[in-house]
Amino acid sequence: MSNAAAALPPNLFDGYDPGPYYDEMFEAPGKPRPHYALLFQRLAGMQATQFQEHRHLADLAFLIQGITFTVYSDGRGTERLFPFDLIPRILPHAEWQHIERGLSQRVIALNLFLQDVYGPQRILRDRRIPRSLVYSCPHFRREMMGIEAPLGIFTHISGIDLVRDSNSGEFLVLEDNVRTPSGVSYVLENRLVMTRTFPGVFQNYEVLPIDHYPTELISILRGLSPRGAQDPVVVLLTPGVFNSAYFEHSFLAGQMGVELVEGRDLIVDAGIVYMKTIYGLKRVDVIYRRIDDEFLDPLEFRPDSLLGVPGLMGAYRAGNVALANAVGNGVADDKAIYAYVPEFIRYYLGQDPILPNVPTYLCSRPADLQYVLERLPELVVKAVGESGGYGMLMGPSADRRTLAEFRERIAASPRNYIAQPVIPLSTVPSHDPAASRFAGRHVDLRPYCLFNGEKVIVVPGGLTRVALQPGSLVVNSSQGGGSKDTWVLGANDVVADR
Amino acid sequence: MLSRIADSLYWISRYLERAQETARILDVNYYMVLEHSQAAQRLRWQPLIDIAGDPEDFHRVHPEANSQTVFEYLAFREENPNSIAACIARARENARTIRERISREMWEDINSLYHTIHRFKPSEEIAAGPHRFCNLVKFATHRFRGVADGTLPHDEGWQFLRIGSGLERAEMTARIVDVQYRDLVEAPREFRSYDNHQWLAVLKSVGAYEAYRRTYLSRVEPERVAELLILHADHPRSVRFNIQETQAGLRAISGTMPGSYANEAERLTGRLLESLRYHRIEEIFERGFHQYLEETQQTCRAIGAEIARTYFYYAVTP
Repeated sequence: MSNAAAALPPNLFDGYDPGPYYDEMFEAPGKPRPHYALLFQRLAGMQATQFQEHRHLADLAFLIQGITFTVYSDGRGTERLFPFDLIPRILPHAEWQHIERGLSQRVIALNLFLQDVYGPQRILRDRRIPRSLVYSCPHFRREMMGIEAPLGIFTHISGIDLVRDSNSGEFLVLEDNVRTPSGVSYVLENRLVMTRTFPGVFQNYEVLPIDHYPTELISILRGLSPRGAQDPVVVLLTPGVFNSAYFEHSFLAGQMGVELVEGRDLIVDAGIVYMKTIYGLKRVDVIYRRIDDEFLDPLEFRPDSLLGVPGLMGAYRAGNVALANAVGNGVADDKAIYAYVPEFIRYYLGQDPILPNVPTYLCSRPADLQYVLERLPELVVKAVGESGGYGMLMGPSADRRTLAEFRERIAASPRNYIAQPVIPLSTVPSHDPAASRFAGRHVDLRPYCLFNGEKVIVVPGGLTRVALQPGSLVVNSSQGGGSKDTWVLGANDVVADR
Repeated sequence: MLSRIADSLYWISRYLERAQETARILDVNYYMVLEHSQAAQRLRWQPLIDIAGDPEDFHRVHPEANSQTVFEYLAFREENPNSIAACIARARENARTIRERISREMWEDINSLYHTIHRFKPSEEIAAGPHRFCNLVKFATHRFRGVADGTLPHDEGWQFLRIGSGLERAEMTARIVDVQYRDLVEAPREFRSYDNHQWLAVLKSVGAYEAYRRTYLSRVEPERVAELLILHADHPRSVRFNIQETQAGLRAISGTMPGSYANEAERLTGRLLESLRYHRIEEIFERGFHQYLEETQQTCRAIGAEIARTYFYYAVTP
């Protein structure tokens, strides 16, 4: 027995040890969780060179399809691939159902909060959240007060970031993204590339499909048309080809069969939005906009914006065009407001939150501020209005000077900062090309939720982002993160044969 | 169809066509000149810059036009907006801004062409000679056309591709014939013996050599070459054929019936086409060959400007 084992070629999982972290694949070294057992068998039998070959094919597929982002340095744009790791992140069916219920509850509560805060403001009158906290939010838009969003929907598309806490094994909500969350194109493309370049791994797994996302999205967008159901014109508004998410804009427009427009393709006349076609102007009913609020309309927001459309807000206010997502959603995904979302769920829905928050200290509260300043080296500090991993301090890995800098910044404008304990994120084995074997890397999960006014549709899985730097907890692509295909298994998890 | 998308399709087609024409003349000229003396070589490289580049800009970079400097300048130089690499980069950039409106295969094809071109090392190619590089560009641009024809609905967007390549080819063929002819007329007497070779090269560079042989069964004579390249009804690289293509594309977009026109671009196209249809080559020579070709090129540019005015740029008043 021991002789036979010794004769086996080295296995890519040899020496894999998740250490103190919750590993999504292994419950103990050498012992895969039941839903990963099949995949483990398959990968363990594979030579390093075979695996490299699949990896190379996958990279090539991304390059040829132009799924790249552009880095501008020394004046020339260089295109880089978003690193893609071939080991999928697998979620068993029951666990996913729990997540889905929690997301659905959260999205509905966030939408109710936005209706309320730009409408009757009951929650402020009932003092369940400080009025000053809401009004001081940089993304609160006075211009939205009293505007009735079509069908009462603000959060058509949300990306809710989840992490699994290694201490409890539970999923927590890390942050909400209800402005213009991006990344869903990678979910769809990752799956496509995975099935094309590594089809063997799917065998005997019942992986829930995800390619209905564009269909669901377009049906929600069409439903918003102010002119009723007769063939509404839907467009996707992009800042243009230099935007880092341009690939996604183009991808979604193509998948939905709608025009991808830039601000210069649109014009507003007498409160109606038109696009400029070769046969003249054509009325636009619904805009899925991937431009931030402040650039949408130079007449109402930043006057120097060349990306937007003058008069667009007027057309929106007059009810002649629908925007998705609604304007002003940033007040709901502000990192300080985040701390109150469990309260929204209780207040609006009378329910207990299914997915808990990460404990959060608001530096605007004097007691929290004092605690944060004392315990800074143990905490993660985030600027409330930032996203993408910018403006962030990782206390345990920061040097003295950075800590001192943040201490000053926090003391100078406490409202702009929150702090959280460092969550030991769960890990998934990922290919380490330098060592030519698998090593545990930290992951998060961003599921994409669509809301049609009645129910929330969550595409099974979402984007698993992975911090490819050893030991790193920061998964953002702008900070060197990659992604993985994410599988949600069907009711039977693993099927015998197909 | 959005005006911006029509604009991009038109230019994708023009840039790729330009890349192909440049690759063709480089390749043919290089191998023709190999058989000539040093003195003749110098004489034979300058016309290429006149055809496909900007002579002033060229001489800022290179003191002398020879096989290496011209190849470098026309194939790789990024600062030359008409170099093959620059044309392919711009065609690809245009495709990138409308990739949701073209087929996935078109996008992948042009994107991989771009990456292939940028993997070439200019110094190695210059040492090896232009054939490998130019041949790749020639076939890759042919292939893109095939991919587009086979995967894109033949609607207005496809018509803009058709117009772009029609107009680019018509203008380029007129320019090639014009420059080469002028060059021959002005050449010192001792080089006149190469005339025949030079006209052969012109035919080969536009891919019309075999067609010439089949059509005329005679030795290569300037008038016959000009007739084939300018007035031939069916040869896909003749000026007339490509103006016909341009007209067909414009009419498909506007729905205009034969015999009338819906805009200035169509009027100019129709006028030029009539002239190409009903002139004999002898008449053109009598009236002044160079002038005729010069006017033809000007009309092509005017048609391009009118297409842009009609379909791409908007007067902002709705």
